[in-house]
Amino acid sequence: MNREIAVVAFAQTDHRSTSEELSEVEMLMPVLHEVLDGTGLKTSDIDFTCSGSSDYLAGRAFSFTLALDGVGAWPPISESHVEMDGAWALYEAWVKLQTGDADTALVYAYGKSSPGSVRDVLTRQLDPYYLAPLWPDSVALAALQAQALIDAGRTDEPALAAVGARSRTAAADNSHAQLRGSVPQGEYLVRPLRTGDCPPIGDGAAAVVLAAGERARELCARPAWIRGIDHRIEAHGIGVRDLTDSPSTRLAAERAGVFERPVDTAELHAPFSSQEVILREVLRLDDGVDVNPSGGALAANPVMAAGLIRIGEAAARIHRGESDRALAHATSGPCLQQNLVAVLEGDPR
Amino acid sequence: MSAILKAPLTVEFPFTRSLGPIQSAFLTGLRERVILGVRTGDGRTLVPPVEYDPVTAEEIRELVEVAPTGTVTTWAWNHAPRRGQPLATPFAWVLVKLDGADTGLLHALDASGPDAVRTGMRVRVRWAEERSGAITDIACFEPYGGEAAEAEPEGHSGEFDDPITGIVAPARLDYTYSPGRAQTGYINALVERRAVGERCPACRKVYVPPRGACPTCGVATAEQVEVGPGGTVTTFCIVNIKAAHTANLDIEVPYVYGHIALDGADLALHGRIAGIPYDQVRMGLRVEPVWTEGARYPDHYRPTGEPDAEYDTFKELT
Repeated sequence: MNREIAVVAFAQTDHRSTSEELSEVEMLMPVLHEVLDGTGLKTSDIDFTCSGSSDYLAGRAFSFTLALDGVGAWPPISESHVEMDGAWALYEAWVKLQTGDADTALVYAYGKSSPGSVRDVLTRQLDPYYLAPLWPDSVALAALQAQALIDAGRTDEPALAAVGARSRTAAADNSHAQLRGSVPQGEYLVRPLRTGDCPPIGDGAAAVVLAAGERARELCARPAWIRGIDHRIEAHGIGVRDLTDSPSTRLAAERAGVFERPVDTAELHAPFSSQEVILREVLRLDDGVDVNPSGGALAANPVMAAGLIRIGEAAARIHRGESDRALAHATSGPCLQQNLVAVLEGDPR
Repeated sequence: MSAILKAPLTVEFPFTRSLGPIQSAFLTGLRERVILGVRTGDGRTLVPPVEYDPVTAEEIRELVEVAPTGTVTTWAWNHAPRRGQPLATPFAWVLVKLDGADTGLLHALDASGPDAVRTGMRVRVRWAEERSGAITDIACFEPYGGEAAEAEPEGHSGEFDDPITGIVAPARLDYTYSPGRAQTGYINALVERRAVGERCPACRKVYVPPRGACPTCGVATAEQVEVGPGGTVTTFCIVNIKAAHTANLDIEVPYVYGHIALDGADLALHGRIAGIPYDQVRMGLRVEPVWTEGARYPDHYRPTGEPDAEYDTFKELT
């Protein structure tokens, strides 16, 4: 009964350390226009619109409703929002298309971290009784996970540094990325993680268009078909989890069909170098797989958009004929708390 | 282009949260220097305890006292503590498996440096001097030489006199807010006591204040248009309850708050209407802004004395 649904267009901003000259909608709107132009669709042609963002990042109440100004949401459109990475907005849109209520969907996400202190902002998503009162910032929690991996003999600091270096070398070809080429590994931010193990902090936005069946073929020469997509979550108590493993990613990957046939490309949302180590093992990615050719989140990490960008980057490689079967992964929350995995395929060439 | 406007913005709020029975026992226990875990159906002890088994979702209620000593399962050295964190001097974040527990508790470890911390080291709770029933009743952990528990837990029942039923969790986030291109133009014009909107290139509507995009057409608005200063009341309400907000303390009730379509604007903004008895304000009333010395926006709007506007001239703006 599953409908065939594809990513038919993808656009993103250049991700930069600040965008203070632009409001959120001013930052987002060019991306919306670009992604629609890529398909020839207008807002009025889109059956369903779904976005992912968080007002806490820029400290601007109801920013997601203001962002809708950039869509042209009047007369009223069918629209929804998730306070999560845009990858989960894409999941909602995929479900909407599966129901048959819509044939096309616009999915977008944006994050403006520069006005605030994102390390502290992200503490507000934690357990409000046992964790949030201690203000454990996002780097600290990732560092606990990294140390657990080191203690388990699964990585060491030079290996972690190599992950960051490879990501930014790959990003040299990605003009949208924030950190490109050679970047110093730097000092400890929270030991064992150095600045080079951590994502750049910046602002950015991204958008994709989904379409079902023949509509997708009309809109895109080589649609990136979503063959499977699933998301799973870990127990919310950090101390309950084995931080060196990611059973939620493994389960989501199984349900998405990742292991049925090899993938040639994987876009992993690993904001910290240590998290890529875990994801590669769980997803069984060997050296034959091109991992994060975009540079990944270590090269550009606009919070709330970086996961959607992984799906968009994987799809764009299929659109361009550079991949036939790609895996895209998105994460949310501390220490790979929640994980989404999608498998994208192009038609045989 | 004019300089980018910026201003500090603090978002601060206390969250008042109620507690479930297990959370209440755990946090009340901390106040009494007792650490409680909860037993799962398969016999594991979770510390800190939760109300439902994280694997089976089964409701779990069996409380178990554990020791204030334990073992570090992972750690991270924090050389630059941030606001709100447990210690102001460099410390290690740690997950500690307390003796008798099967899971890790996140907290700070007061140690002399990263060389003094390792996974597997023994630590014990340092209690806060003043305790209220919060995770911060544990001030931090500290290194501890003993292998076994200092004293066996006494098997506390989890029943306390005067259990706490809720916590107040203050939160504060600091931002440097910048309003973006369109609103910067609007604010800069207000300095000169002018109102400036932006026109949509597609539908030609003029938005005041401008937000940078036309919400109907979804395109950028760029052409600046000066509007006002006069305008028309399109709708209003009479406020009878004095606002608690400090900015409005001087305003006596009843007063009138209205939507005002400035001349040339296609969207009404809102403001207080004064200089006329509250029960004489009406739709179509012509008004103008009143500025006070040093103000950054009009204090209120007052009647101009012109004849009222015909309903047909503003009915699209109500």
